[in-house]
Amino acid sequence: MNLDSLFKPKSIAVYGASASDSRKLGNTLLKNAASGAGDVLAIHPEADTIDGIRAVARLDRPVDLALISVPGERVEVAVADAAAAGTGAAIVLSSGFGETGAAGRAVQDRLVAIARAAGMRLVGPNCMGVVSHLGADRWLNGSYFWRIPTVAGGLSFVSQSGAFGGMFFGHMRDRGLGLSRFLSVGNSADVGINDALEWLGDDPQTKVIGMFVEGFGDGRRFVDIARRITAKKPVIVLKAGKMAAGAKAAASHTGSMAGNHAAVRAALRRAGVIEASDSESFFDAMDAAAAGLRQKPGNIAVVTISGGPSVLAADACERAGFKLPALSAATISRLRQLTPSFAALGNPIDLTPQCPVANFIPAIEAIYADPAIDGVVAINCGLDLTPFGVGVARGVAATGKATAAFVLDAPGVEAEMAKAGVMRFASPERAVNALAAGV
Amino acid sequence: MKTLSEWESKRRLAGLPYPKELLAKSRAEAEKFVAALGKPVVAKASGVAHKTEGGLVRFNIDGQTVGPAWDELAAAGDGAVLLAEQVKAELELIVGGYRDPAFGPLVTIGIGGIAAEIFGDVVAILAPPEAGEVAASLEQLAGHKLLQGIRGGPAVDVEALARVVDGVAKLLLDDEAVAEIDCNPVMVCQGRPVVVDALVVLDDGGA
Repeated sequence: MNLDSLFKPKSIAVYGASASDSRKLGNTLLKNAASGAGDVLAIHPEADTIDGIRAVARLDRPVDLALISVPGERVEVAVADAAAAGTGAAIVLSSGFGETGAAGRAVQDRLVAIARAAGMRLVGPNCMGVVSHLGADRWLNGSYFWRIPTVAGGLSFVSQSGAFGGMFFGHMRDRGLGLSRFLSVGNSADVGINDALEWLGDDPQTKVIGMFVEGFGDGRRFVDIARRITAKKPVIVLKAGKMAAGAKAAASHTGSMAGNHAAVRAALRRAGVIEASDSESFFDAMDAAAAGLRQKPGNIAVVTISGGPSVLAADACERAGFKLPALSAATISRLRQLTPSFAALGNPIDLTPQCPVANFIPAIEAIYADPAIDGVVAINCGLDLTPFGVGVARGVAATGKATAAFVLDAPGVEAEMAKAGVMRFASPERAVNALAAGV
Repeated sequence: MKTLSEWESKRRLAGLPYPKELLAKSRAEAEKFVAALGKPVVAKASGVAHKTEGGLVRFNIDGQTVGPAWDELAAAGDGAVLLAEQVKAELELIVGGYRDPAFGPLVTIGIGGIAAEIFGDVVAILAPPEAGEVAASLEQLAGHKLLQGIRGGPAVDVEALARVVDGVAKLLLDDEAVAEIDCNPVMVCQGRPVVVDALVVLDDGGA
């Protein structure tokens, strides 16, 4: 399905900005849309300009994208106006439709009929809109979000919840991750998660796809689409509503034991989709995918100067099914020369804070070079000796071995890791779990 | 929802590995079956739900006891008695099928036994399963090591188990009216799955 006019519009019409009160949501939307250089027009019954942007009473030429944020009872007129002008796609951000009951559902059905008759795609209603990187420093912000990421990258995200979109942007900002596309599908009256997923699968700019899902709609179509995509790029799904009671009492053991979520798990497994169990693990998996941690390593070295947290990491490794093998004899004898006699050279490998600063780099490089090791969890709590970070960075550069880190109060170490693209996580366990996500 | 009897359910689920069994419509038929089999059988009332809870399953029925057992169970049920070769199992599984509103027909494999519902250790697979998908899905079970052989015992014949699962999937796919299927228990005897009891639930359009 072609959603180019949705994600890569060259011209935009905004319905719903007020000529007298710039604080309205519609004015936020207009301001957001106009912030990405492009051809933006406001539609308003009387005004000639709104907030400095040209306004017309009716759309008199085709545009790629219409953003509709008028009160519910006026949405149908706006959709019809956009459709009549030959608009490529319309996003209805306004609420008060299928989510409210049968009457709202009937109006929503009419919006879809108007759009389809004109060959216009319809997103929403009841959604937060679209954000998309248009190239260089140009962004489409066709959303109510006043603060969107400004770092371009390969992560794209489709959400059935607008508010979770806000959590996603917050996370992107906190971690400095790069965004490609964001779409809030709302009631999915026409364009649903499957359509968006299909387009993102073919989008060369999108390297990783995250989805927040409440319901899959046509689940088999989802499996077919997702399966084709996961062969080339990771898809990570957070499914909300796992515990909801079944619609009907089951007549058999099978019906009662399988529960609601078993079908989702079966589908995601067949499609090769990574399932996140909660929002934390969703964001960790997105981070891991952004850092290119594509293969789940088998044999892990936990490298540290911090005893307790590294033991927690080792415990998490065991739970996640990783092995913590002994290093080879050659590596151990090299480490003996570089570290204090009381350094623990099992696994976790505790180089100790007393390790001569200059030796961190060759010691960590030696661990990376050990053929017994496929991946590294690096733990550093509060010993801000930059060479620890440099050692990890060089190890990754030399071997490409999957690495996740937990760093606390060591900004110099963290900066070295960040430069090398090594992802840091909020706890030792979450670093391990991100590696285990196998994105 | 309409529940088929065990005997009818097994006829619908054609080709699964069942114990030697007979729906005995008379006392004489029952006595003849036990004599021919030459070993004790289990006798179950027919056309009754929750047979175990109702005390309508009798074990170790032999040539002496089959007559009185038939009389009693026939009267408690629909007039016939299901007699089956008694199976000794090292493991009990539950194989099932159901329909999900979004994903359509699914099959399930779970660890059975009296604690089955407490542990809820079950994995679902979109029906029909693809080649190798049953074997791969078994790893999702918390108790998957039970299937690899208990205390040096034989491992479950995964291919034979996959054929049971395929049979359940086939009925779901062939007959839209089938809402749920339970093969419970599937007894594993020397690694071979035997479907000891089965239940097919039809969606008859009613509430």
